[in-house]
Amino acid sequence: MMQMKTQTEKKVVTGDYAAAHGALLARPKLIAAYPITPQTFIVEHMSEFIADGKLDADYMAVESEHSAMSACIAAEATGVRTYTATSSQGLALMHETLFVAAGLHLPIVMPVVNRTLAAPIGIWCEHNDTMPQRDTGWLQVYCEDNQEVLDMVIQAYKIAEDERVLLPIMVNLDAFILSHTVEPVDLLDQKMVDAFLPPYKPKHAYLDPSDPMVVGSFAPPEYIMEARYQTEMSMQAAREVIGEVTEEFADKFGRDYGGLIDTYRMDDAEVALMTLGTVTGTARDVVDSFRANGKKVGLIKLRFFRPFPARELIEATKGLKALGVYDRAISFGSGGPSWIETRHALYGHTDIPVTGFLAGLGGRDVTPENVGMMFDSLLGLAKGQGMPHVSWIGTRGVEP
Amino acid sequence: MTTVKELPVQDYFTSGHTACPGCGGAMVARIAMKVFGPNTVVYHPASCMLIFSSTYPNNAFKVPFLHVLFENSAVCAAGIKRALNRLGKSDVNVVAFAGDGGTADIGLQALSGAAERNEDIIYIMYDNEAYMNTGIQRSSSTPFGAWTTTTPVGSVHAGKVEFKKDVPRIMMAHDVPYVATASIAYPTDFIKKLEKAKAKKGFRYLQVLAPCPTGWKAESSKMVELARMAVETGIWTLMEYEDGKYTVNRTPKFSPVQDYLKAQGRFKHLTPEDIKKIQDWVKSKWEKDKALEQVYK
Amino acid sequence: MAAQALAAAAFREGNHALAFPFFGAERRGAPVLAFARVDSKKIRQRTQVYKPDYVVVLDDKLMGYVDVTAGLKEGGTLVVNSPLPPEKIVTERPVKCATVDATGVALEVLGVPVTNSAILGAFAKATGQIKLESVEKGIMDIFGARLGEKGGRKNADAARKAFEKTTAGMSVGGRKFKPVKKWLPDYKELPLSLGLRVTMTEAGRVGPGSFDVNKTGSWRTFAPVLDDAKCTNCLICWFYCPDGAVVRGEKHVSVNYDYCKGCGVCVEVCAPKALKWVRTEEVEEKLPSEAIA
Ligand SMILES: Cc1ncc(C[n+]2csc(CCOP(=O)(O)OP(=O)(O)O)c2C)c(N)n1
Ligand SMILES: [Mg+2]
Repeated sequence: MMQMKTQTEKKVVTGDYAAAHGALLARPKLIAAYPITPQTFIVEHMSEFIADGKLDADYMAVESEHSAMSACIAAEATGVRTYTATSSQGLALMHETLFVAAGLHLPIVMPVVNRTLAAPIGIWCEHNDTMPQRDTGWLQVYCEDNQEVLDMVIQAYKIAEDERVLLPIMVNLDAFILSHTVEPVDLLDQKMVDAFLPPYKPKHAYLDPSDPMVVGSFAPPEYIMEARYQTEMSMQAAREVIGEVTEEFADKFGRDYGGLIDTYRMDDAEVALMTLGTVTGTARDVVDSFRANGKKVGLIKLRFFRPFPARELIEATKGLKALGVYDRAISFGSGGPSWIETRHALYGHTDIPVTGFLAGLGGRDVTPENVGMMFDSLLGLAKGQGMPHVSWIGTRGVEP
Repeated sequence: MTTVKELPVQDYFTSGHTACPGCGGAMVARIAMKVFGPNTVVYHPASCMLIFSSTYPNNAFKVPFLHVLFENSAVCAAGIKRALNRLGKSDVNVVAFAGDGGTADIGLQALSGAAERNEDIIYIMYDNEAYMNTGIQRSSSTPFGAWTTTTPVGSVHAGKVEFKKDVPRIMMAHDVPYVATASIAYPTDFIKKLEKAKAKKGFRYLQVLAPCPTGWKAESSKMVELARMAVETGIWTLMEYEDGKYTVNRTPKFSPVQDYLKAQGRFKHLTPEDIKKIQDWVKSKWEKDKALEQVYK
Repeated sequence: MAAQALAAAAFREGNHALAFPFFGAERRGAPVLAFARVDSKKIRQRTQVYKPDYVVVLDDKLMGYVDVTAGLKEGGTLVVNSPLPPEKIVTERPVKCATVDATGVALEVLGVPVTNSAILGAFAKATGQIKLESVEKGIMDIFGARLGEKGGRKNADAARKAFEKTTAGMSVGGRKFKPVKKWLPDYKELPLSLGLRVTMTEAGRVGPGSFDVNKTGSWRTFAPVLDDAKCTNCLICWFYCPDGAVVRGEKHVSVNYDYCKGCGVCVEVCAPKALKWVRTEEVEEKLPSEAIA
């Protein structure tokens, strides 16, 4: 990360606050949301901003997440910037609406606090809420700390509203580990954010009686293939736009997140672990201690899951002898979603073993020891030792 | 009060749509749009009306039009309205046209939410008393005894065993500014209610009986007649709940329900006992209506 | 249902058969398209049929708009519901053709102008590909399942009657069709979110309020005819017409046959009885000559 260019006020805040403050700075005109642990602080903060006159927007306290996203879709299709946030069961309830937001090319920004999806019911961190949404046409970015949450909400609007993209985006933060954890966060300067993020003025979808438009028509087979292709093109274009926005943000605010992926001590690494979400921070420390012991390990931080950074991963894994992919979710009958996607992305570009690790499901803590075990097995793998395709870490009764 | 003759010549729901010949829903849309006029945004859930009025790239509505999903009409209309307000266009009418299934069943939650928040929208339920779009399945708004494809006439059960859900009274319980029922067979009453709905602020709910030749198994030419008989038998009450006051707009002739039922294939199988049950239901419904007039004066 | 019954009939003769509709957005009464494939072995192809051996037309009015022989194989046969003899049927090129007044038969036997059973009798007679007995069984299988034994029987009778009345011959060629244009933008031209404002395309107007390019007049089997002198201009028919097909005038209304689907609501609500119910053929000259979009 680059040196800070500007020094605005830092405050000790939760990840939920960071997600809300990012929205405050982005000046959405309509917020529609429904509370769910551990996202509740976000909706409470948004309500307070409006109650205190800090934000001039409509807050729709709707009766479900399905309605929250529906209201955002309708308002965005009318032509205003919107905001919502959810988690877990709420996201699952939204599922049907997510396709509409993407299919209508509405650049809605939604933080999702990653929480386990029932059953068994729990409230702690797992990515099995967002991973099943991967085919809806939403961009997805996973955050490592509260600062990244805030910075990504602002960048998310800029990326999503870019005319080359025009797709909705989820900004993902791990339940409790970020949502309820306080740490110092640079809250950014409103004027600078305004200069970075212009108002939303859609040309492709709006509802205005002086210039009528049909949005969301029933469409026969003659039109849907092309529409699907457009969404795929938008997703592809997002790669470039994410790069540009990352650069512009780094330039203006002094923090460079690396774009689709970030890397750590990869220069001469023999094995590497890929992580997403907050485990990344723990893994950075583990990398340092392995390095201190002369072991050549490195770290790849998967930031964007959609679009999936295939090219970047091909580049980043060159020269490695083994790669491990960490997931906090499983696609039953196959493996961790990012492991599956990584193997797919690297197909034909590498012949190194790519192995999957599962840890932290249901909110179980992922410790430095857990991560250390992953690196140890990767080093063994690089030396030709065998290991299963997918390893369950810290699971009672399962061999490490 | 606007008469039929005074309605604008101009249609904002155009010809060429693909509704069945005689479609009561299409009559509702066309007449309502004459009253609402061009400064309107229309929302449609999944329904017959969506399919027959909006097949890409053509659309029957001359005004801005949005479809999102099936069960969220009320909240989508509310989202549009609030966004228009934010854009400085607060004079625009936002109207949702939803079917009985999209309203009384799967859409009831979003409807209740929007009503409770008193969202500034007009919600029109065109009641054809079944899920017509998917092939005539029963809804909670299907009347007692009616054949549908999911209340078939078999040897053990014949037709729907439950009575119709009373959505207007559910809406009254939300104490919104305006709740009314209408029938296409009473033009001036219908126009008056559309105009009131247009003029008022806050949540406005209008439920219009919209006979369906296909689903009711009746002659397409008889749609208006059926809509009249429904009122004259007392099966369909013309009512208004306006700023807390409940009014029955028309005292029916109470002609025997049989006349209405006989004219429709969906009731063909009814036994004399079934018919009596319906006749009794009409009586108790009327007593409740009169009692409501006393309560909400 | 006609295609289904034909498949059932073919199955009765020991063949494999597939029948399927093209699922369109139209409701009841709109022109529809259905396909049937018959073979002695299992049919694996499930695509639409583009080069049929036989084309069956249930509503001859369609032949003014649609080139029904476009895909018909050389030597294939056209079966048309029409009171006219084959040599009065005008198609794009002369083809083997059989006709029957299936509407007349249906009205006589069933009491309603629903011709999808009767026409199958004509098909059996015209093509010789299937026995009338099998067609009747196929109709019992499909129509009987929906309408009960009695209803099925009536429809089988309609097929038998139509079989007897079918005449075979050749159609005459020479009908010209404007190529049907459709707006088929590629992905670069297709508006994002399919968001559409009123737009002129090479295939006509699209967007809000553009459905009037679709002339639904072709749906009708009956049409209202106005006696101007009797019309009091009360506008009640204009108020109710679900298709906006009644036009207001100074002294009296008139019917716009481009859109009238023939539901008959206007006839029913007309207090002075100025509107009469007439079989479409009798108002033929008033039909739109332009192809539907
Ligand atoms: C979530 C969901 N479930 C089911 C459907 C299928 N569906 C579409 S329209 C419809 C019935 C509509 O009935 P109603 O609201 O009464 O309108 P009508 O077609 O009768 O006018 C159904 C079940 C759907 N589109 N979405
Ligand atoms: Mg219905």
